[in-house]
Amino acid sequence: MRLVIIGNGVAGVTTARNVADRKASIEVHLYTKEPYAYYPRPRLIDYISGKLSVENLPQYDDAWYQARGIDVHLSQQAMAVDPQARKVAFADGHKEIYDSLVLATGSRAWVPPIQGAHLQGVHTLRCLDDAHALCRQAEQGEPFLILGGGLLGLDTAMALRSYGVDVTVVELLPRLLPRQLDVEGAALLQQAIEARGVRVITGDACSEIEGDAQVHGARLGSGRFLPAGVVLISAGVRPKIDLAQEAGLTCHLGVVVDERMLTSAPAIYAVGDTAEFNGRVWGIIPAALAQARVAGAQITGQTDVAYQDVVPSTTLQVTGIDLTSVGEVNPEAGDYQEVRFLDEAAQIYKKLVIRENRVVGAILLGSRSDLAAVNQLVSRGIDVTEVQDQLLEPDFDLGAFVRRASARSA
Amino acid sequence: MSKWECLVCGYIYDPEVGDPDGGVEPGTAWEDVPDDWLCPECGAGKDMFEEMS
Ligand SMILES: Cc1cc2nc3c(=O)[nH]c(=O)nc-3n(C[C@H](O)[C@H](O)[C@H](O)COP(=O)(O)OP(=O)(O)OC[C@H]3O[C@@H](n4cnc5c(N)ncnc54)[C@H](O)[C@@H]3O)c2cc1C
Ligand SMILES: [Fe+2]
Repeated sequence: MRLVIIGNGVAGVTTARNVADRKASIEVHLYTKEPYAYYPRPRLIDYISGKLSVENLPQYDDAWYQARGIDVHLSQQAMAVDPQARKVAFADGHKEIYDSLVLATGSRAWVPPIQGAHLQGVHTLRCLDDAHALCRQAEQGEPFLILGGGLLGLDTAMALRSYGVDVTVVELLPRLLPRQLDVEGAALLQQAIEARGVRVITGDACSEIEGDAQVHGARLGSGRFLPAGVVLISAGVRPKIDLAQEAGLTCHLGVVVDERMLTSAPAIYAVGDTAEFNGRVWGIIPAALAQARVAGAQITGQTDVAYQDVVPSTTLQVTGIDLTSVGEVNPEAGDYQEVRFLDEAAQIYKKLVIRENRVVGAILLGSRSDLAAVNQLVSRGIDVTEVQDQLLEPDFDLGAFVRRASARSA
Repeated sequence: MSKWECLVCGYIYDPEVGDPDGGVEPGTAWEDVPDDWLCPECGAGKDMFEEMS
């Protein structure tokens, strides 16, 4: 049996590994249009900040693929899939026949329709080549403007400060990280980021990027003009669905899959940022890993393994600012309670969202000390009725409570 | 006690150091790290780690 995987990101490479580890009899062909072996994208931030050298970025070398019998083909772009003939056509003209196909094409940076987005000096950040380009610009000392105050925009902003360049982040919404934080948390985070030399403007959007051939700056909705030599658009990602769409597979936002990771076409799976399950595309590594595990099992004949959505947990990587956001942090409706703790002087803010006696969401800002316990409260669905009001009190031992509760239910 | 490497991002779990923020005391052997512990760098689970030789 011949398995073809398109995409060598975390979803593709993990699917390949899961299949190769289980069944050596399956021929695994892994294709990517990038010229590099697998590297973890979060590490691009460390590369930009200078913490990691480019040689140390790839996580696997040729020997790693070889040892597992995975045939990896770099710099090969898939152009078309023919689900009837079970064939994939590549940019160099060759075709590959498959018994099973996995689409792990990931996502691309989304560029909103702003005038001037094509100018020289306007960038996005998704892959190593993008990171190289940003570093080259930062070496010139040009002031940076980052459009979008999400996790990626903020992480990149802080990383670029290591070059000593001016960095300004513009966020359309009135506060930072609206999905991961509430109003209080966002205000504290903004203070912490500004204290590290990044300028933050919220509640204003870029209406036009100005320049001749080269970008000069951006005009905001308020009329204000911000000069910049580099503009980084960090406005979120969109799944890469063109291959699937042109092959006639059902796609909405992403390539639609069922709990087996199967698309609407026979023997074609989709995993990672490109896959849409239950109307949702996560765009984060833990979801990609969980999906790759299911696809790997399905392909090797373990057909009872099904995918369940993960509880999203995100962490800001910025050194010196500890932020973790788990699950539902801005509950919209229904019966819920919130427990909060704020120490303004120490810049610590914590919040737990409780529904039906269980913690379903959490914000931990300025402290990682309760991180493990909070993650376990959410993932293990521990009943907190008896201690609800004490959960975040400084002298309450949350870890001990979780251990006791887990032992009781075990 | 041997070290374990995250296959996703390269984070190395060193038993001598543990992961205090993640609730794992220094001196905790890999076998005793809780099953729902996650890689502090990328969120991968324990099954994505490999023993380093
Ligand atoms: C700078 C940065 C930091 C991040 N930090 C975090 C973080 O801290 N935590 C987290 O959970 N997530 C983070 N993410 C998101 C995370 O990287 C993605 O969720 C993850 O990479 C998704 O994996 P994937 O394999 O689905 O897609 P990708 O990693 O995008 O891989 C897709 C692969 O498919 C290839 N491909 C696409 N189309 C074709 C084609 N037609 N032919 C051949 N090859 C093709 C691409 O070249 C690429 O190699 C970050 C992303 C970035 C950019
Ligand atoms: Fe990791």
